[in-house]
Formats: sequence, C-alpha cells, structure tokens
Amino acid sequence: MTWRPVWALIERELMRMVRQRGRLVSALVRPLIWLLVIGAGFGTLLGDAASGGYQRFLSPGLLGMVMLFAAMLVSLSVVYDKEFGIMRLLIISPLPHYWVVIAKTVSGMVVAVVQAAAFAVLLALMGYIGGAVSLPLLVLGLVATALACASLGMLIAVWSSTLDNFAVVMNFVIFPVFFLSGALYPVQQLPDILKIVAAINPFTYGVDLLKHALVSGLAPPLGPDFTIAIDITVLLGFAVLAVFVACLRFSHESAAGLLDFLRG
Amino acid sequence: MQVAPLPQSDVSLAIQTIDLSKAYGGLQAVDRLQLAIPAGQFFGLLGPNGSGKTTTIHMLTTLARPTAGQASVAGHDVLRESVAVRREVGLVFQESALDRTLTVDENLRFAGMLRNLSRATIRQRSDELLELFNLRERRHAKVATLSGGMRRALDIARGVLHRPRVLFLDEPTLGLDVPSRRGIWRFIERLRREEVMTVFLTTHYLEEAEACDQVAFLTSGRIIGAGTPESLVRRFGPYVLEIDGTDMDAVSGLLSPRLGPCLKEGATASFRVPDEQFSFAELQAELNDSVQAVRWRRPNLNDVFLWINDPTLSAGFEI
Ligand SMILES: Nc1ncnc2c1ncn2[C@@H]1O[C@H](COP(=O)(O)OP(=O)(O)O)[C@@H](O)[C@H]1O
Ligand SMILES: [Mg+2]
Repeated sequence: MTWRPVWALIERELMRMVRQRGRLVSALVRPLIWLLVIGAGFGTLLGDAASGGYQRFLSPGLLGMVMLFAAMLVSLSVVYDKEFGIMRLLIISPLPHYWVVIAKTVSGMVVAVVQAAAFAVLLALMGYIGGAVSLPLLVLGLVATALACASLGMLIAVWSSTLDNFAVVMNFVIFPVFFLSGALYPVQQLPDILKIVAAINPFTYGVDLLKHALVSGLAPPLGPDFTIAIDITVLLGFAVLAVFVACLRFSHESAAGLLDFLRG
Repeated sequence: MQVAPLPQSDVSLAIQTIDLSKAYGGLQAVDRLQLAIPAGQFFGLLGPNGSGKTTTIHMLTTLARPTAGQASVAGHDVLRESVAVRREVGLVFQESALDRTLTVDENLRFAGMLRNLSRATIRQRSDELLELFNLRERRHAKVATLSGGMRRALDIARGVLHRPRVLFLDEPTLGLDVPSRRGIWRFIERLRREEVMTVFLTTHYLEEAEACDQVAFLTSGRIIGAGTPESLVRRFGPYVLEIDGTDMDAVSGLLSPRLGPCLKEGATASFRVPDEQFSFAELQAELNDSVQAVRWRRPNLNDVFLWINDPTLSAGFEI
C-alpha cells in the first residue's frame, strides 16, 4: 500500500486548517471559554475543596472537545468534497475505495491531534496541566480519541449528502456525545440511565484515557472511571467498526473489496 | 445481474464494450452499446443532453456499475480490475471538480500525489502542462479567481498529469463562451500532438467534433450511426439548403419532389442537396413572396445527426 496519496489528503487538510485561521482560533477559544467560565462556575458550586480541582478535572474533557470538533470539521470536508466534486477525483484515483475512506479518516485524526496538542500546550502554560502527568499516556490518549472521533465523523459523512443536513447532525450527534460522557462530570456520579448512556458512548472512554494521563492523582470521583485497557479496547474497537461500516456505505466497490479482503 | 468476463479481449483495442448497458430503475440510460476503439484514436461520442454520454464514461472509468454487458479499458475489465482501469485512465468531468480553496499548482500537486507521482515528476509535468495551456502566470492564483475557460484548461491539465493511456473528456467545452471553447479545442489539439494517447470525447456541440478520427451518434442510450466525420458529412451531400418563410407547405411542395423530405424547425425548412452542381440561382427565381431568406452552406455533423435521428428523413440516407 502506498502512503503518498494518504499524505496528500493529510497535507490538504492541514493546509486548510492553517488557512482557515478563524476556525483554528475558535477551535481553541471554545474550550478555553468552557474552562474559564463553566469551570469556574461549577468549581464554586462544588465548594472550596473542589475548586481549582474541578478545572483540572475538566481539562481531559476539553481536550476531547477540541478533537471532537476538529474531527467533525474534517468529516464536513468530506461532505464539501462530495458537493464540489473533489470526491470524484478521489474515487477516480487508482486507490481501492475503502482506502479513500481510511485515508480521509486518518487525515481527520491528524488534524484533531494537532489541534488538541496545541490546546494541551495552552493548558500547560496556564497551569491546568501539571503534577503527575504521563506524557506517553497523553499521546496515546490523544491519538486513540482522535481516531475514534474521526471515525465517528466519517460514519456521519458517508450518510450526509449535503452541507445542510450536516448542521442537523452537529446538533443531534456532537452535543449529546459531548454532554453524555464523562467530560463534564464523573461517570460514577451520573444517574443510572445517564450512566448507561455514558458507558455506551465511545467518547467517554477517550476522555477517560486522557484522565489517566492527566488527572489520575485527583481524589476518587474526579479521577478515571475505567481501566486503560478497557479505554483502548473500546476506542479502537469503535474506530474499526465505524470505518468498516463507512466503507460498506461508501461504495459498492469498497464493500466488495472489503469482503474479498476478509475472505482472504 | 451476473456479468461474465469479456471472452477474448483484444489488446490492441483501448476500449471495447459488448452490450454495455445501464438502467436507472425503468430508464435505460445506456442500451447495449458496442464499441471497439483502437489505441491512439480520437473518438467522439456525440449526442444531445440526456442521451447517456456521461453514464457511458462513468461505466468505462469504473464510477458506475453496468447493469448488463461488459467493458474493458486498456485491456482491463471495468468490473473485475477497476483499480487497474483507474490507473490507466484520465478523466475530465463534465462539471469542473477543482478545489477552489487551493491554488492552480496545489490542485495539480494534490492530484499527482493521489496518483503516487514523485514531487519532481509532478513539478516537471506541471511546468510542461501549464505552459501548454497558457496558465503559467496564474500558477499561484487560487482557483476561485480563474475564468471558466482557465478552470476548464486546468481540469484537462490535471486529467493528463499522470500520462494516462486513455483520456476521457466529458463535454470539455460545456458552458464556455465561444472564444474559450476555441481555446480549449486548441489545447486539446496541442495535447494530442505532444502525447500519445487514446482520447474519448463527448459533446453535444456536434459540429465541434470534426477533428475526431471516428464519431458515434448516441440518442436515448443507443448508437444510431457511426463513422469518420468526413465520410458522414460526405454521405450527407455537398450542401444544406435552408429556407425561412411563412408558408412551409408550399416550399416543401415545390422542392421535395426534387430534393426529398425536409427538416422543419420553426419557420425554417432544411433540405439536403445531393448535387454539387445544383443551381441555387434558378431556385431563387422559382420561390415566391412567402419566402424570407434562402441560405445554402456546407453541412456539418450536427446536420448529419439531425437527419439520421429522424426516421422520416433518414430513409433516403443510410449510414
Ligand atoms: N444517477 C442517476 N439516477 C437516475 N437517472 C440518471 C442518473 N444519472 C443519469 N440519469 C439519467 O440517465 C440519462 C442519461 O444521462 P447522462 O448519461 O447524464 O446523459 P448525457 O451525459 O448524455 O447528458 C438521463 O435521462 C438521466 O436523467
Ligand atoms: Mg453528460
């Protein structure tokens, strides 16, 4: 398999990210507002013991937020590509069609990791990341979560034909995924129904993995809820499944190609 | 439907189809197409809007699945060896498919990388093609700032960046003004001089296809005539006679016994003039006051198409 076509897609996505500076800035400002406004508000609500602590608790969730939005923007670029005919250029290139889906997902993942890394640096400079931080776990958490988010974005993108219905998806997928996870509150303390929903939501495990990296030292309800092994298994499992389904949906040919590949 | 591989695909043919068909629900968009296009030929598939030209191109470039029949391009079966087919072909879509957020150069580089060309190759080919298509000065301009004709030229340049063995051009001049259309034809001509490849062109400006080695007329998904443009036009006859007037019946009553049936379009009747020595001066004297204008001119492919497409006209004129 050749990587240059994949790199072409990643490069184009990064170029877009840098050119659309407004988007990049808002991608970093949005979670910052959450951190400073909501974080401070909730912190006060939770009382002295948790204040400051809550904002540290929030940082994994906000890193997740950055990646969720970044991945969605990349899948928005899939819809854009479909609408403006560039997708045809991809499917006329000599790549198997499932490879187009994979390459687009990877480019989404890369953009998400780059933006989240920038935000992590910002958090560190502001003192919200510090103490017992595991850098390898942080990298793993960023990559695995970005992959899961990008796969989700791809799943949505193959079902969206126009930019309009993509906006609906933003409201009915992105916000629930973010709110019904452990990003804003510890999963253990959610009511039972929401606990079940959070446990089904793969994004929960991404945030949890980042909690392992950043806030494993915080007092019990604020620390991670699952083991690292479970987090990684769920994230990768979801990504593989989502990309697989996206390929089946993407074209007859990629469906046939994947089935041939599986038959060996 | 199960589609069997081509029995014995002829390797010297760049494109071969047997009963190639595509149905959309009840609509037969392409109906049992038989094509045998030798390598190096400049082939034109001509027909009005909706006749199935784009559908044919999409099947030949693996973007659409035939519902029946077989096709091979550059020796590869479009269904079983789709990736190999895509490696050998270049395709310029009917609708421009450029990334407007990127520059001219970046569009070329993106396409080249998708085809796994090295950076050096992409740079060298871009230089050549931008020179050929007069786009050199605009290479760092955003595509959004280019004129329609320039965009089309870039579309074509991108389609041949990887030196395809078979190039598909789907209505390359659609939507362009006349000077830009001429420009695009000049580019295609230059390109054909510099690169050895089979070109499969579609257009509904039939008269533009005279440079083709071979053309086929498509209507409602079926080929209704084929041949070299010269032979088709020659068989049509030396002149088309067009008469504008208010009383068409009188005109056809007067001329049909001599010239055969006429094609009526609005207030104009057209006749095929089979005789090079036909005396237009005598004719003028016979016509009465209801006639407003009389013109005669050399026929083109558009005339040929109109005549063979109409069963009442094609009787005396078989191709
Ligand atoms: N995706 C599609 N679904 C249904 N009908 C289609 C589709 N694509 C083309 N058609 C129909 O097939 C016929 C041929 O279309 P097309 O190949 O685009 O013609 P042309 O390129 O000659 O204008 C038309 O009647 C068109 O409406
Ligand atoms: Mg068309």
